[in-house]
Amino acid sequence: MGKGKVINDAVKNFEVTGIDHYLLVDADFEEEFSDYFRCCVCLDLLYKPIVLTCGHVSCFWCVNKSMSGMRESNCPICRHPYNHFPTVCQMLHFLLFKLYPTVYMRREKQTLEEEKEMALFSPQFGYEACNSDQQHHHPRDQQHALDSGAFRNGEFCASTQQIEPVKFVSMIQAPTMSIPNEVCDENCTMIRADSVEENNLPEDKSNINCKQVSVSDVQCSTCKHLLFHPVVLNCGHVFCETCISPVNEMLTCQVCQSLHPRGSPKVCVYFDHFLQEHFPTEYAMRMEAVQAKQVHVKSQHPITCSTKAGEKSFQSSSATTRENLSWWADPHSKVHFGVGCDSCGVYPIVGDRYKCKDCVEQVGFDLCGDCYNTCSKRPGRFNQQHTSEHKFELVKPNVINRVFENESPAPILSGDAQDSNRNSSASAATHPDRAEDENETQTPR
Amino acid sequence: MATINGYQGNTPVAAPAGTTPSKQTVPAAKTVDTQSVLKRLQSELMALMMSGESGISAFPEGDNIFYWKGTITGSKDTVFEGTEYRLSLSFPNDYPFKPPKVKFETSCFHPNFDVYGNICLDILQDKWSSAYDVRTILLSIQSLLGEPNISSPLNTQAAQLWSNQEEYRKMVEKLYKPPSAAA
Repeated sequence: MGKGKVINDAVKNFEVTGIDHYLLVDADFEEEFSDYFRCCVCLDLLYKPIVLTCGHVSCFWCVNKSMSGMRESNCPICRHPYNHFPTVCQMLHFLLFKLYPTVYMRREKQTLEEEKEMALFSPQFGYEACNSDQQHHHPRDQQHALDSGAFRNGEFCASTQQIEPVKFVSMIQAPTMSIPNEVCDENCTMIRADSVEENNLPEDKSNINCKQVSVSDVQCSTCKHLLFHPVVLNCGHVFCETCISPVNEMLTCQVCQSLHPRGSPKVCVYFDHFLQEHFPTEYAMRMEAVQAKQVHVKSQHPITCSTKAGEKSFQSSSATTRENLSWWADPHSKVHFGVGCDSCGVYPIVGDRYKCKDCVEQVGFDLCGDCYNTCSKRPGRFNQQHTSEHKFELVKPNVINRVFENESPAPILSGDAQDSNRNSSASAATHPDRAEDENETQTPR
Repeated sequence: MATINGYQGNTPVAAPAGTTPSKQTVPAAKTVDTQSVLKRLQSELMALMMSGESGISAFPEGDNIFYWKGTITGSKDTVFEGTEYRLSLSFPNDYPFKPPKVKFETSCFHPNFDVYGNICLDILQDKWSSAYDVRTILLSIQSLLGEPNISSPLNTQAAQLWSNQEEYRKMVEKLYKPPSAAA
């Protein structure tokens, strides 16, 4: 009785305030999504997912805003310490888009609105039609968008509620979607032929539309099989746990050659569960193959990010971390508070900081000493239009004393410091209208 | 997934019956950024109500979803058994990246709470994580009731008395003023 009353109150309360009116209407037509893919921070479907080195996943902005610009950051779930803002995992990004197009598109729309407000953008991956001037349309990405769109308009929609197609059409016409309806329809048959191999998939009650996901969407870049115990590197590329091996204690991505900082990543357990549920046959085969091959290795190091094994290794790693990160307490170290490297993602930058003089974006483009010296060619973390022709300047961290004078270094301080820093360095890169300092200071650049 | 969809499944039934959502009192929700805070708080509220957690409850006060009232009851087999405490939770605009301000509204004789209702709890300060929510906060405070941290007390009298559980229980009973029943 008591509980029911409370729920009625809730409904009444929201009616009065009208807080979430649009939201309720919207979400009523959405697919249910698996709790595996619920972000622990915003409690919504993951959007532009980032996998931390401990294997926990969160949205791009949720990770970004959870990070500390003053010192090392901790995973929101397990407190595993980390210094690098990882790159979005594109495999999960496209997977989620295929699985839950309606929810994912809603997330995209919402996020884009917030990004416009902040004048700061997450990386764009192709099917989004926003900011066409900043867009890199990748043919493969576009195909992805078509795949899902086609599927939604065709078979799947027909088999669900009457209301569904209507909803989807409106999504298509939303400014964030670039694919016209006709194109989708034309592609429909082709796509279905493409996904023949999933015939032996289980008909999961909660995810009828999972049919459209095939093994090719979730395969390891190295062994080209279904991912087994997937791990995601700092660069966002996904491998089987058994397919990565450190060379000289440094782990290098075999796709993009970038270094993975600080030890081996842990298995992304939720992703692994998803694979096991949706590709049971293939998953079992992969498990057998891996076990047959590496029985001894497995028994020695069962790496999972589940609590026990994870915590143990975290402790050891955080011990070494504390030594590495003694700069935090040392006023003479060169910490660039609130400034991150756009290549490796280290945040804040410690040591040399190189700032691009030619990037006009408010967020700026910065590299740490290592990435500057290796001539990194990776794009900015916030969709900056940085090119290799741009010139850099070395920026000194003259903010430290100011920060340490104050007992509690609030993020806004680094913002102020940044400003004075910028002004003093007489950089031409400063954008005329610096709208939102507060937002900026929380983000790596 | 029960939380979001279960909740949203409920409302269309109720919505037509009620008045159309008025434009009054959208609390500080003008900017798009607080929209995500709103969404998160709504999700939390639904999850909390669906969970049927016993011993804790929380609900927004009035029209303002950034300000909640919560209650916790003392756990069984602790000196606080049978008592109930009311708390206020005030959420900042950058929640969940910053913790809410949590205070006791009912005075509680406890080593880690002061007479003004302030709470000394690490997860509400430097150990805050954006994955924490109202539920975990209330559960943490509830467990803190029975397992105080004597080594860094806010209320030294309570800390000293803690070793004598019988006397402590008497003190709790003496000072306890049940929160008014009005919701």
